[in-house]
Amino acid sequence: MTRIFRSVRDGIGFDILLIGAALLFLVAFAGVPLIYNVLMSFQQVDMFNLGTFMRPLVGFANYAAVVAQPEFWMVARNTLLFVVGSIGGQFVLGFGLALFFARGFPGAATIRGLFLVSWVMPGLVVGAIWGWILAGDFGVLNYLLKSLGIIQSNIFWKSDPNFSIWAVIIANIWLGLAFNMLLLSVGLHGIPRELYEAARVDGANTWQRFWFITLPMMRSTIGAVLSLGLIATLQQFDLFPAITEGGPANSSMVSQYWAWQASFKLYDFAKGATISVMMLVLVLIASVIYVRSTRHEVRG
Amino acid sequence: MTTRGWTNWAMLAIALALAAVYLFPLYWMYVTALKSGSEIFANPPTFWPQAPVTDAFPMVWETRTMATYLSNSVLIAAGVTAITVILGSGCAYVLARYRNVWIDVGLFVILMLQVLPASVMVTPLFVAFSQLGLLSYPRTAVILAAAAKAMPFFVVLVRATFMTVPRELEEAAMVDGASRAGAFFRIVLPLARNGILVCAILTFMSAFGEYIYSKSIIQTPGLQPASVGLSTFVGPNSRDWSGIMAYAAIYVTPILAIFVLLQRRIVSGLTSGALK
Repeated sequence: MTRIFRSVRDGIGFDILLIGAALLFLVAFAGVPLIYNVLMSFQQVDMFNLGTFMRPLVGFANYAAVVAQPEFWMVARNTLLFVVGSIGGQFVLGFGLALFFARGFPGAATIRGLFLVSWVMPGLVVGAIWGWILAGDFGVLNYLLKSLGIIQSNIFWKSDPNFSIWAVIIANIWLGLAFNMLLLSVGLHGIPRELYEAARVDGANTWQRFWFITLPMMRSTIGAVLSLGLIATLQQFDLFPAITEGGPANSSMVSQYWAWQASFKLYDFAKGATISVMMLVLVLIASVIYVRSTRHEVRG
Repeated sequence: MTTRGWTNWAMLAIALALAAVYLFPLYWMYVTALKSGSEIFANPPTFWPQAPVTDAFPMVWETRTMATYLSNSVLIAAGVTAITVILGSGCAYVLARYRNVWIDVGLFVILMLQVLPASVMVTPLFVAFSQLGLLSYPRTAVILAAAAKAMPFFVVLVRATFMTVPRELEEAAMVDGASRAGAFFRIVLPLARNGILVCAILTFMSAFGEYIYSKSIIQTPGLQPASVGLSTFVGPNSRDWSGIMAYAAIYVTPILAIFVLLQRRIVSGLTSGALK
């Protein structure tokens, strides 16, 4: 007993205690639920057996039922559109801003830091503000687009099935832009100046320097930023209840909101679990890419 | 004035313009909250309130019981931050101190847990909590769930802070007779204090805005946080924009104030952990 106590105070036991407490907590509230989720997707879950762990196993019946839903392909298409549109917008705009701020004029770092304010805003508040900006009749975005002559009549961003998913994508690009820019700025900062000077001596123009130095040197950063973008986009939930609630007629429904609705609006927990397991496969692919591209960083 | 000087001024002007465009949504929130009912729906919209009124703020504070909502938000965020900092700091320290295959496994687990979407975890957590009877203590249940969500990110960031603490200092303390625990609490923790504090504030801010777990787990309005309170009157068919924007402004102004005060530290804290 004293030996254990001594080890905790002054030996390897101390480390095991520190890391063990955290890991135990994470296993209990993240690891076990994750496995339980997979288990539930193979079970028949209803109001009568909600209290027990021993529920009838149904094989892949839940998966077949989810795929057979009339809105399944619509949701899959929307999820893909949401992911590609959000990441594309965040990355291109974020990279542009990162390149601009990398020119190192006075005040650049401070102004760049201001962009990060979007990162600390509650998602629901961001959704509410964009819901107002994108409002059909009195929204300020429609007014600006009309005064610039880009559109002739109001776009009903939230209630037109052709635009509803784009309303959420616009808000999500705004939300993720700053983080993309920050990470890409850090990557740009790590490229040795001499490379650019050497290329300049050799007569490379701006475009060639970007294409043959910046992009190859940024490869691992870009990999990390894109996979983090995919993870963050699949985690994005708060904007949906605030802007469209997945509507109208599921035209802006994505997998994460669909899974939540199945569980907490329809109380069909097996369906909710099944959809989220399907989504999880996507997330795992993204995280493998992410872990691979940051592994050498993590080892320090 | 040299050419370089002029370029710098031009760049600064463009940078300010870009920041203004980016921060317009925040400006629009405050401006809308200050407009009267008829001015909000004016066409063309006014970009500066013609006759600013502050009626919306006390109105929304009273009718939406914001005091209750915000105190629940603070309570939940404080609980999440406490669990995350106490358990996460020790974990980050051990992960920073050693390099072997077990540490790599631990890091891999942490990185993988970081990517789990809350919308995936909420279904099994809700069902398991209901089986365990934890739903009778809904705010505690939300704190536990949200702390598990916040901890991996906290560990990754704080680990980077611990990496900057020279190991020699710790070894010197132990040569002088301090125990491992003594060296950790008296040497390493004080040196890493600033980094941990910034990460704790980040954790607090994101837990302060937490929505999905609270919405799914807390049914009693008197126990819900401000995000759920906002969701009761925000949606695709919202009409009360004055009330919504006033509510949003009251809700986020404290966060924005902390952000502006600590901006430099938050940005450097984020960059050191996420990528090198």
